[in-house]
Amino acid sequence: MKGILFAKLKLFLRKPWLFVIMTGVCVMFAFFTSQGEVNKIPIPYSVVGDSEEMDRIVDELKGAEAFQFQEMTEEQLKEYVSEGERQSGLILMPDDFRIMISSNTGTTSLLQQVVGKAYSDMKYKKAVEEAALSEGIPSAEVSGWFHEAETAPVFSIKEASFKGDDTFVYDPKLQSLFGFSLFFVIYTIAFNVSTILNEKNEGVWDRIILSPTRKWEMYAGNLVHSFILGYVQLALIFFVFRYITDVNFYGNFTTVLLLLVPYVFTIVSLSMLITGIVKKVQHFSAVIPIVAVSMAMIGGAFWPLEIVKSPILLGISKVVPITYGMEALKGATINGWGTEQLMLPVSVLILMGVLMMGIGINFMERRHV
Amino acid sequence: MLEVVSLSKDFKKHKAVEGVNIFLEKGETVGLLGPNGAGKSTIISMISSLISPSEGDVRLHNDSILKHPQMLRKVLGVVPQEIALYNDLTARENLEFFGKIHRLRGKALKDKIADILDQIGLKERQNDVVKTFSGGMKRRLNIGVALLHDPEILIMDEPTVGIDPQSRNYILEQVKRLNREKNMTILYTSHYMEEVEFLCDRIYIMDKGHIIASGTKDEIKSILSAESTILIKLERSSDAFVDRLKEIAYLKTVTSQDKEVTVVVPKEVHPFNQIFQIADETGATIVTIDRKTATLEDVFLHLTGRALRD
Ligand SMILES: Nc1ncnc2c1ncn2[C@@H]1O[C@H](COP(=O)(O)OP(=O)(O)OP(=O)(O)O)[C@@H](O)[C@H]1O
Ligand SMILES: [Mg+2]
Repeated sequence: MKGILFAKLKLFLRKPWLFVIMTGVCVMFAFFTSQGEVNKIPIPYSVVGDSEEMDRIVDELKGAEAFQFQEMTEEQLKEYVSEGERQSGLILMPDDFRIMISSNTGTTSLLQQVVGKAYSDMKYKKAVEEAALSEGIPSAEVSGWFHEAETAPVFSIKEASFKGDDTFVYDPKLQSLFGFSLFFVIYTIAFNVSTILNEKNEGVWDRIILSPTRKWEMYAGNLVHSFILGYVQLALIFFVFRYITDVNFYGNFTTVLLLLVPYVFTIVSLSMLITGIVKKVQHFSAVIPIVAVSMAMIGGAFWPLEIVKSPILLGISKVVPITYGMEALKGATINGWGTEQLMLPVSVLILMGVLMMGIGINFMERRHV
Repeated sequence: MLEVVSLSKDFKKHKAVEGVNIFLEKGETVGLLGPNGAGKSTIISMISSLISPSEGDVRLHNDSILKHPQMLRKVLGVVPQEIALYNDLTARENLEFFGKIHRLRGKALKDKIADILDQIGLKERQNDVVKTFSGGMKRRLNIGVALLHDPEILIMDEPTVGIDPQSRNYILEQVKRLNREKNMTILYTSHYMEEVEFLCDRIYIMDKGHIIASGTKDEIKSILSAESTILIKLERSSDAFVDRLKEIAYLKTVTSQDKEVTVVVPKEVHPFNQIFQIADETGATIVTIDRKTATLEDVFLHLTGRALRD
C-alpha cells in the first residue's frame, strides 16, 4: 500500500496545478461571496467642530453592526438626504446630534438609539475622567480601567434567546466559506478516486492484481491518497481564512478541522460508489458535476437550508452528505453545539461513508467478469 | 509444466473461447497465432486468472490454479497487449513502482532495474517521462516491467503491435535471448506469422475461439505438404478469370483479392499452361505468376479460407 501511495504522491507532485487552481478558485469564491455588506444600511454623517470627543464618538459608531457610516460635508449630506439617495443623515455636534430624514422608517429610531448611546457613553466616561482628574489620577489610567472592564468584566452577561422555528443565526462569512469549500472539495476527491478507472482501462490495475499486492492495499492506496488531498485542500482553505483574512471560527477552529475528517471520508466513499457504478471515465466526468452541484444546492452549501421551505427538498437533503457536513461545521461554530449534538451529523456521515464504500467496491469487483 | 484444459469463455451469449487445449513444457517457446478477435487475449486473461473461465481448467505442475491463483502468479510474467504503464512517471520510476509492488527492495531492486534497463536498451532514457517515448520504447518498457520478478513463464500478448521494424527485431532478439539464456518458458501471441516462425518451437493456430491447428512448425506445414500454392497477379481484377479457375476440379482452393488470385494445387500438378490459356480466353493479363511451398499463412488460409490479416 505504501508503494501505491508513494507513486500516487509522485504523480500528484508532477501535476499539482489542477489542485492548486481549484484551491485558489474556492478561496476566491468563498471570499468574494462573503464580502457583501448588504445587510448594513449606509448612513452619511458630517462632523461639526473638531475635538477628541468627536473622534471617540465616530470610533464608537463605526463599530455598529447595523450601519455603515460614511463621512461627507454637510452640504453633500443634505443633498443626498433631500434627494432621497439616503434614508437618513447624521450631523454630529460636540454635545448633541441631529438626524435628517427623507422618509420615516424603522431605521430612524434604531439610528437614534445607537447614536444616543454613543453620546451618553462618551459623556459618562468623560465625567468619570474629570472626577478622577480632580483626585489627581491621570486620564490614561482611567481609560485603562475601562478597557479592563470591557475585556475582563467582573460580571459577565450572556445574552440568550429562544429560537423560534423561523429564526436562525446567519453568518454570511462562514456560510459561504463552508459551503464553497465542501462543494469544491468534491471535485478534487472525485477526480482522484476516478483515476482507478483510468488505471483499469490502461491495464495498470491488472498488472498490480498480478503482483503479490492485495486487493485491499490497492483500494486503500488509492482512497487514502484521495482522502489526504481532499483533507489538505480543505485545511488549506480554512487556514487561509483563519490566519490571513481573520475569519472568526467562534474559537472552535480545531473542532472544525476535526469535523472535516468524517465529511472527507464520506465524499471519498461517494466517489468510490460513483466509480463503481459508471463504466467509463467519460461517464464519470459527466456525472460528477451533476452530483456535486445538485448536492450542494439541496444540502445547503449555496444558501442556508433554513430558508428552504419545500418539504420535498428538505426530505431529499436528509440523504445528502453535504447537509450533515454543513450541519456539523455550523453547529460547532455559529450555533455553539456541544460534542453530543455534533455526534449526530458525524455518525450519519460515517454511516453513509461505510455504506457507500462497501457498495462501491462491491460493484467494482463484480464488474470484473 | 503449464496446461490449459478444454478452456471456454462465454461473454453473455457470445463464445469468445471454446474448448481450447494448450500445453507448455519447461524452456519451450510456444506461439499462439490468430487474427483479431480470435480469443488470444481472453485465453491469456484466464491463464493469469484475471477473468474466470466458463468451463475448463488451467494447471501448473498438475495443480489447478483456479483455486490457488497466487501459485501461478508468482512464477508468471505477463506482457499485456496494451501499454500498461504510468505515463507521467519516468521509465525508472515505473520500474521502481512495479518492482516495489513485487516486494523488491533496496539493492536487489536497484540491481534488477539496472539489469532490465540494459536488456530493453533504455538506459539513456531512464529518467525521461514515459509519455515522451516512442511506441517502440513504450513497448520495450512494457516488456521490462513484466520481467522484474524473474518469472519462469512469460506470456506476451502481441508485444510488437504498432512499432517500427527496428524495434520489432530488437524485441524478437530479446525474447529469443530470454528463452536461451534464462531458459524462460514463453507463450508468444501474435498475428504475424514471421514472428512466430522465427521464435517458436511449437505453434497453436486459432480462429473464432477454436484451436484449428497445432504442432511443430513442420508438422503444421505438413498439413499442406501434399500441396503447393500458386500466386497470380493480374493487371486488372477479373471475375471471369477466377470463375473459370474455380471450375477446374484439381485446383483445390481458389481465392482472390483484388488483382491477386491464390490457388492451392496438389504438388504433382503443373497447371501453368492451363492457367495461361484461361487468361487468354477471359481477356485477363497475368503480370506475375509464382509457385511457392507452404507457409503458415497458407495453412491458415487453407484451414479458414481467409487471410490472417486483412
Ligand atoms: N469483456 C468482454 N466482454 C464481451 N466480449 C469480449 C470481452 N473481451 C473480449 N470479448 C470478445 O471476445 C472475442 C475475443 O477477444 P480477444 O480480445 O480475446 O481477441 P484477440 O485474439 O486477443 O484479438 P486481438 O488480436 O484483436 O487482440 C472478441 O470477439 C471480443 O469482442
Ligand atoms: Mg488480444
